[in-house]
Amino acid sequence: MSADRGELLRGTLDMLILKTLSLQPLHGLGLARRIDQVTEGAFQVKPGSLFPALHRMEQKGWIEGAWGESENNRRAKYYRLTSAGRRQLGEERESWSQVVLAIAKVMEAT
Amino acid sequence: MHTWIKGVFRSLFRKAELDRDLDEELDSYLAMLIDEKVRAGLEREEAGRQARIELGGAEQVKEKVRELRLGATLDTLLQDIRYALRTLRKNRGLTAAAGLILAIGIGANTALFTTVNSVLLRALPFPHADRLVIGLKTMGGVPSGPVSRIDYFDYREGVESFEELGALTTFTQQNTVTGGGDPELVQALYVTWNLFRTLGVEPAAGRGFLPEEEARGGAPVVMISDGYGQRRFGNAEAAVGTSLVLDGEALTVVGVMPPGFRFMYDADVWRLIDRDGPFDTRRDSHSHWVVGRLKPGATLERAQAESDAVSAALAERFPDSNEGKALALTDLQGYLVRNVRTSLLLLMGTAVLVLLIACGNVAGLLLARGERRLSEMAMRTALGAPRRRLLRQLVTESVILTVGAGLLGVAVSYLLHDVILGLLPVGELGIHPPAVDRAALAFTLLVSIATGLLVGILPALRSTSLQPARQLRSDGRSTAGVHHGRLRNGLVVLQVALSVALLVGSGLLVRSMVRLSRVELGFDPGNLLTGQVQIQVADYPTPDERNAFFTSLLEEVEALPGVASATLSNRLPILSRWQDWSVWPTGRPPGSPQESFSAMARWVPPGYFATMRIPLVVGRDIATTDVPGSPYVVVVSRKVAETLFPGADPLGRTVTIGEWRDCEVVGVVEDARLNDLRGEPDPAFYMSMAQMGDARLQIAVRTAGDPTLLVRPIEELLRRKDPNVLFAQPRTMSTVVDGELAGFRTILLSLALFAVVAVVLAAMGIYGVLAYNVSQRRSELGLRLAIGASESGLVRMIMRQGMVLVALGLGIGLAVACPGALVMRHLVYETGLVDPAAYVGASVLLGLVAALACYLPARRASRANVLELLRTE
Repeated sequence: MSADRGELLRGTLDMLILKTLSLQPLHGLGLARRIDQVTEGAFQVKPGSLFPALHRMEQKGWIEGAWGESENNRRAKYYRLTSAGRRQLGEERESWSQVVLAIAKVMEAT
Repeated sequence: MHTWIKGVFRSLFRKAELDRDLDEELDSYLAMLIDEKVRAGLEREEAGRQARIELGGAEQVKEKVRELRLGATLDTLLQDIRYALRTLRKNRGLTAAAGLILAIGIGANTALFTTVNSVLLRALPFPHADRLVIGLKTMGGVPSGPVSRIDYFDYREGVESFEELGALTTFTQQNTVTGGGDPELVQALYVTWNLFRTLGVEPAAGRGFLPEEEARGGAPVVMISDGYGQRRFGNAEAAVGTSLVLDGEALTVVGVMPPGFRFMYDADVWRLIDRDGPFDTRRDSHSHWVVGRLKPGATLERAQAESDAVSAALAERFPDSNEGKALALTDLQGYLVRNVRTSLLLLMGTAVLVLLIACGNVAGLLLARGERRLSEMAMRTALGAPRRRLLRQLVTESVILTVGAGLLGVAVSYLLHDVILGLLPVGELGIHPPAVDRAALAFTLLVSIATGLLVGILPALRSTSLQPARQLRSDGRSTAGVHHGRLRNGLVVLQVALSVALLVGSGLLVRSMVRLSRVELGFDPGNLLTGQVQIQVADYPTPDERNAFFTSLLEEVEALPGVASATLSNRLPILSRWQDWSVWPTGRPPGSPQESFSAMARWVPPGYFATMRIPLVVGRDIATTDVPGSPYVVVVSRKVAETLFPGADPLGRTVTIGEWRDCEVVGVVEDARLNDLRGEPDPAFYMSMAQMGDARLQIAVRTAGDPTLLVRPIEELLRRKDPNVLFAQPRTMSTVVDGELAGFRTILLSLALFAVVAVVLAAMGIYGVLAYNVSQRRSELGLRLAIGASESGLVRMIMRQGMVLVALGLGIGLAVACPGALVMRHLVYETGLVDPAAYVGASVLLGLVAALACYLPARRASRANVLELLRTE
């Protein structure tokens, strides 16, 4: 599945990033690779969607970035969740489960 | 909230820092991506290539991120504006042309909006003017004008919803002021004590009338205008408490109204209507306007229901006079502006049409320029500019253009709106003169921006819709795509259609104007001097003395050099109107008030018809023997004779006039227009001046040459004859008749002006499109010439293309003009809405102008050198 399809669910990308960052701070490429890995290739986040998303979320104060050293001694910008971001993740998780539940009900209706 | 502000602040003022940060982040991303690919076993070079493909254009990613920044919109807007100004400066010719076209369109709209706003939308200059209503008499449900004074008092007592209900006469009377210097004429308006309270206007000095003063035998008091106070007493406040002798009666000035106050009529003094006053002593005599102020919270419907109840009770008690009669209440402002509303809305509509034509024109210009900029757009797209951004920038350009044009338009509107106001009869309404104010400026800004979006959006969509790769490949060579051509052609068709509709409209008005100015008045207004003459009743107490004075006056005036003849009347045609009295064959009164017939009541000396050149049909003129004591006689107009005595000889029959006097019909004259230039001639009857014995008459002097040269000699003659006689308002009849046409002429002139602008714009539009087409097809035309096409053949081909568009536009325009003309049916005089001359004229005029606009580019193309044409390849 391409990232374009991921973009169909814009809110979903934000949620995936929030969730992923809630486990540990990561830089852009690390974040993309982690999502790829966890979803077993279902979501490939390309830079064209990744960076705008990161900046949007940074402006909203959900995440903040700081320069640090990568595992291979490269300078990289690491993003971590703020407390506002943590709250946001909780809200998104809740509405997401409601949506899933609702859709599931429709799809399983006989 | 504060993170948001911080964000805006950061993105605006620390832009460079943010950009550097983003660059570094992307660099590091790329570096790590290459590392990853190298670890996976790729060559370093190949890894770099693949990584860059995966990144997918660093500039595009950066642009996407930048657009997200808070305040980025503001930043790009500033950037767009800077860029737009630069582009507009580079294309000075286009900017000037488009700006000027739009300035005219927007200016016209601003000027008219100002007028419409102050006349139709803004309230009358009275407090809580929305609660003011006017009452009009209806007969059998049909509105028929003023109200009976006696009925008014019943409505005043019977309708609860009115806070106040006032009344005033439908005319002003001339009163003579004597004592303290020369006698002078003043305009007196008769009002009820509470009229000013109804309007909510307090006197500037002194006090208003009191209710007990209105009753019979009340104190003799008068109120005066500020202007008259200044004129007579030098200081308006000093007038309060002084005595003013009006027509021989000493009245005390109790109050002075504020400067500029007027209501429906210009008046110097306001006198009280009392229950036994001189006018409307009968319930079937109607000569008062009734104005009411609703109580707060009371509705017009309730007041109407209450006055209907009063009407019903009156009809029961006085069936002879009040059967079928009622009072229709309507809002005062709507009533006052009813005559100018159509004209104003028509002009406003026209101005909007002109603006639309201007928009079509400028959109065409921008479209043509947009095609010249296709390569620029393609290049910027390839470099990562999103289409949205390009659109926004192009639209910014056109909005800047139109807002600039709007500013220029405000200047245009200053010039225009003085012209409009000088000519429209809005001054009579007692409405504040319109000014270009904040509302008008807001309107202009709004129109400018809307115009900018309208003219900018289509060309912008067009010029950013192409595939950049295709466009860049064919670089330089313009691809005048079929789409673009079609759109521009559509704009030309639109302009032609709107222009022809406008032309038809003004054509219809021009035709009716011509007819109106040539209208058969029924009398000859040429070389006719008119004026008011009044003698003091005290000096000439009996009718015989008054008749002797006027008879000798006419003889002496006729003896003056340059005078052909002179005559008098109580009311001269057009100069003084109405005064219609009921008239019926004696012994055969009408069965009901609705069946009664009334005609204009006039009294004249012998020779009146000869001087006015009103043809005598049968019988005789008023004679010198028709004096007090001899039988009463009357000359009736043809309509009166035909209505009262259908198919019979009216001569020798007797008619009853105003339920008051029986007169023998001695002659019949043709009908003449006495009240209005439009509509039908008015039925009238002419009694003998000597038998009426009036002291106040209007004089008409037929001259051999310029009538104005006689003003001085007549004034001198009167002063010698009797220094107490007043001679006022000398005017020529042609001036009076001309004044009648003035309002109509203004509308016509404005409409004609708009039509000319429209035709010029349409011609420019056609020319622009064809010239552009020709310049795009230079090589094709060169080739055609080279392989033997004739010059005239080329001209024909290009002209045919242009004329097809013109014909299409003409067809559409004529089709919409027909229903559009319905709007003007009130203004069009004796001209059918399908007057073929207007339609043919408009088509021919526009067709010729369009043909010229087509011919010029066609000729230029055919005259060009073949080699030169081909070399541009």
